[in-house]
Amino acid sequence: MPGWLKNPIHLYRSEGVRIRNASAGQRSMQRRSLPKVFLYGRNLAITIAALGIVVSIGYQGAYNIAYAQEILRYLIQGFVVTLQAVAVVIPVGFILGFFFGWGRTSHSWLLRATGTAYVEFFRSLPPLVLIVFSSLLATLFLRNYFFVEDPHAIALWIGVLALAFHSGSYQAEIVRAGILSVPTGQLDAADSIGLTRLQSIFLIVLPQAFRVSLPAVGNEFASVIKDTSLISAIGGMELTFWGTLLFPDALGQDFNLVFIILTEVALLYFVLTFAVVRTVRAIENRFKVPGLEAAAL
Amino acid sequence: MIKIRGIHKYYGDLHVLRGIDLDVDKGQVMCVIGPSGSGKSTLLRCINLLIQPDEGDIFLDNVRINSPEIRPEWVRQQVGMVFQSFNLFTHLTALKNVMIGLTRVKRVDAAEAREKAEWELERVGLGDKLDAYPAQLSGGQQQRVAIARALAMDPKIMLFDEPTSALDPEYIREVLDVMSRLAEEGMTMMVVTHEMGFAKTVADEVIFIDEGRIIEHGSPVEIFERPGHDRTKAFVSKILG
Repeated sequence: MPGWLKNPIHLYRSEGVRIRNASAGQRSMQRRSLPKVFLYGRNLAITIAALGIVVSIGYQGAYNIAYAQEILRYLIQGFVVTLQAVAVVIPVGFILGFFFGWGRTSHSWLLRATGTAYVEFFRSLPPLVLIVFSSLLATLFLRNYFFVEDPHAIALWIGVLALAFHSGSYQAEIVRAGILSVPTGQLDAADSIGLTRLQSIFLIVLPQAFRVSLPAVGNEFASVIKDTSLISAIGGMELTFWGTLLFPDALGQDFNLVFIILTEVALLYFVLTFAVVRTVRAIENRFKVPGLEAAAL
Repeated sequence: MIKIRGIHKYYGDLHVLRGIDLDVDKGQVMCVIGPSGSGKSTLLRCINLLIQPDEGDIFLDNVRINSPEIRPEWVRQQVGMVFQSFNLFTHLTALKNVMIGLTRVKRVDAAEAREKAEWELERVGLGDKLDAYPAQLSGGQQQRVAIARALAMDPKIMLFDEPTSALDPEYIREVLDVMSRLAEEGMTMMVVTHEMGFAKTVADEVIFIDEGRIIEHGSPVEIFERPGHDRTKAFVSKILG
């Protein structure tokens, strides 16, 4: 039996709508699921992660349990800091990206120039340089002009914000592309029924741009989560910071401890990234509309 | 109903409309024909102010609409427009496409808007496609939703900008049928089209535009069978093949 007979075209069904004739237009709408390989890949990742837990538990049992548990406690402490950084970087980056990206599509020369300057500046500098430089500058300013005695904590968060600005510059480009992907005919139609410019933007352009941009934004979220490890350079006591701190000592004691540290650090990043990516995917599915499936990354 | 006097439109050095005078009476169906680039679409877009003419006056029910005191949104509520490429809002169902003008422009409450939108979709034969998204509809169905969307605003006049040009041949009929019925119901219409069959049977008046000027106007019979102007003759013989 030929393949196309075994897998008849699935007519799109949503909210009780059934389309009887699969005409050419509808045919292109059938949901294209990922090749099986990718699904297996995901399961594989989960399996490896699970094995990682087993292995590390095993090692903890076999060797110095108390020390291994102590390591985990420190790592979780670092994980909490990573979580805090992510909780700042993702929303701030998203908001910055949204407004500057939108600004770049504006008719106003000033808004466009501001958006472009922002994107070009923060996209061109290595995030590590941005973080170190901004937190040093912040320390200097806080000490010399605001007479803060211990500016370390504030400077740390300035560094985190710098990372958010960096991520925002990438997201601005995503948002801009999303807005530009909305055909001008949509605006003509919005105008023709009497919607105001502002209504067109909020009711027509942004809802469509949002759907198109979401996968790329999710990708950027996944990427910036791992970039929070850079704040260890300015003394942010996050996950990677603790991992590298515990490393030499573990190396001296027992090589298996090194393995435990690495597995646990990797696992914690994996869990966080996985959760965020899944959340974005869930939002994607919630707002999914045939005809507005985002372009693949 | 529509009175146009001496409108000009320039795109940089390009002089697209070179002094158009035109009257469309209530209940009249006017077909606009002409070669591509002749200014047909620009003319249509001037009437609902999607394009502002550079010179001249456009009156809608004796109100000069191309003036700074007039909000374009106010004009557009009264002038329905159907596009060549349908331009349905991709993220909204057929029903929501029709409702959005009612709820957001006319501020009708949701239940009433829904009822009206369902009725308009029923009218164009799509009562069973309320919850379908544009991508799930054929071109002909999309264009009929677009007509329903424009009609829902109770416009005084409907503008059709080559409504069947982007359609596969098998869907042209259903759209023209809807338009013919509208004409029968007494809707004032201005239609840019190359569907000569439609123009012949439905139009009260046909105008031929070339290079931004009205070259000739008259009844369909006059224009298609006894064109007075050489350019009209040449064009008509080309499209009638």
